[in-house]
Amino acid sequence: MDNALPPERLPRDAAERLADTMFALATPSRLQILSALRARPRTVSEIIAVVEMEQSAVSHQLRVLRDHAVVSVERRGRERLYGLHDHHIGALLDHAQSHLLELARRRRSGKRAGVDRAG
Amino acid sequence: MAGPVPSIAPPVERQAALDRAHVGDIEGAMGTVRTFDTGPRRTLRGRLITLLAIAGPGLIVMAADNDAGTITVFAQAGQGHGTRLLWVLVLLAPALFVVQEMASRLGAVTGAGHARLILERFGRVWCAFSLGDLIVLNFALLVTEFIGVALSLAYFGISRYVAVPLAAGGLIALTGGGSFRRWERAMYFLAAADLSVIALAVLHHPAAASIGAGLIPRLGGQPGSRAMLLLIALIGTTISPWQIFFQQSNVIDKRITPRWLRYARIDIALGTVAFVAAAGAIMVACAGVLGGRAGHDLVDAGAIARFLALRAGGFAGALFAIALLNASLLGAGVVSLSSSYAASEVLGVKHSLHRHFADARAFHGCFAGLVIAAAATVMIPSAPLGAITTLVQALAGILLPVALVLLLMLCNDRELVGPLTNPRWLNAIAAAAVTLILGLATMLTITTVIPSATAVDAAVVTGAALAACAVVLAAALRSGNRDVDGPSRAMSAWQRRTWTSPMLELVPGAPSTRARLVALALLRAYTVVMIGLLVARLGTLIAG
Repeated sequence: MDNALPPERLPRDAAERLADTMFALATPSRLQILSALRARPRTVSEIIAVVEMEQSAVSHQLRVLRDHAVVSVERRGRERLYGLHDHHIGALLDHAQSHLLELARRRRSGKRAGVDRAG
Repeated sequence: MAGPVPSIAPPVERQAALDRAHVGDIEGAMGTVRTFDTGPRRTLRGRLITLLAIAGPGLIVMAADNDAGTITVFAQAGQGHGTRLLWVLVLLAPALFVVQEMASRLGAVTGAGHARLILERFGRVWCAFSLGDLIVLNFALLVTEFIGVALSLAYFGISRYVAVPLAAGGLIALTGGGSFRRWERAMYFLAAADLSVIALAVLHHPAAASIGAGLIPRLGGQPGSRAMLLLIALIGTTISPWQIFFQQSNVIDKRITPRWLRYARIDIALGTVAFVAAAGAIMVACAGVLGGRAGHDLVDAGAIARFLALRAGGFAGALFAIALLNASLLGAGVVSLSSSYAASEVLGVKHSLHRHFADARAFHGCFAGLVIAAAATVMIPSAPLGAITTLVQALAGILLPVALVLLLMLCNDRELVGPLTNPRWLNAIAAAAVTLILGLATMLTITTVIPSATAVDAAVVTGAALAACAVVLAAALRSGNRDVDGPSRAMSAWQRRTWTSPMLELVPGAPSTRARLVALALLRAYTVVMIGLLVARLGTLIAG
């Protein structure tokens, strides 16, 4: 991780750009595609096989992700390889996932504690 | 706003947006509405302030409707037939309002533009056809707008080699400037200057009795005569496909949610009145000054301005030229924007006037490319301008019925529009309006493509097509509304009025009822026949 802390007062302009990036992540299908790219770059047909969506839907979402610089594309011969734009995107996904796991863990332990108290 | 006080926290943002910039405060030319400020407006003053902020898309689309082509055709009608065709405007106004209201509501509810909804609900073939036709048609229209700029400034002695590049550069800078508010203010300015034709009508109107007589519907002359062709051209320039696409996308870009639909309707109604006033004023003024003087064929708007100056003094000619200039600039800005909105929302790239050039390159690049190409076409000395006008009419006649029928089906799509689908009474009015426009558009295409055929033949073909389509439409709409309510029955009045669509990818597909399939098959047949006619005509033109 980079160590630079975000500035306490986020300028409006920077907030807009940040919101654009978050927007690109805010659709279930796009998150599924990004997860498919987490380990390594893939071709469109590989992505389709992993996420089990229609080809047109995958192409469309890949275009949105590229437009927001979340995914980058690399030509290798006749194939186009799609990958996460940089390691920050992967980290972002991981952190969001860990956040959810953390929430679930707390809820479980909280429930158990509640049961214990009741009993 | 009157109505039930919300029992739950009012929604502040739409559930789904295609571009993040489509969510946030409404930043209108004449006011701001904050995202959280959705409470009831209890005073008249509060409602007026809100209306000032929300108004815009309706006024602009209607003002832009009165573009170079419309001004020319209405002026020709005034010159050739006096005020005898004034009733057409009165007849068209309700149809215009109903269509634009549906587009506006569809945008506010779904957050997706017309082209994108066609892609999502009717598939790639319909989308590719609509988008392709829209872009070609809009390009041809754009050329006519720049001709309007060139002709109006030529009246003041300014060369088109100066006027047209300046206009194109100004439009690109304005649209790519990254401020929705600045863009809307500029459009208001152009629209207001456009109203100078009303001054022209006040100064040079014919006797009030003849204006009154013109409001009574009747057809002057034989079917198949030039009056009939003019009538069809009049309607063709008044209702064009880009208006639906533009309005729906612009409502979304302005961040209008269903909470504000009542204000958006007033906006459209005011726009419709302004359009009728401006277009009527041109007809009245040209009837007053030039009416009944046969022999002069006013081929273009520049000739009209010169003849006005000749008959009624330089002031009248200048007023007309100024109106033409502003109408052309407004038309150019809005028509090309409807193309770039449509292309970008289908591709999924950022598309908002809130973004500046560097932030949405594909969207603004598309706009700039179209504007520059059209401007360049006008500056070619021997550009086939007559052919371009013909192409506009033929393509509009093909695309308009498709856009309208799909619009009507989308507005009855319960999965997509939820509680804000068309009520039955509106479906009845809308089906009548769509049928009327559909028939006239068909006649426009047929008479444009086959100049030798009499309008009688065209009318017979149209009548048959009309009857078939009307029946299918009615059936499709009724079956679409069979499961009235469903989940929306449990909603409060406030929830029903502020509902927005879920993310497009989460909306279940439209059920393929028999009526829907038949309607689409008929629409496909219509499109294929019309394109076949057009291609055959182009073939004979090239061969001859």
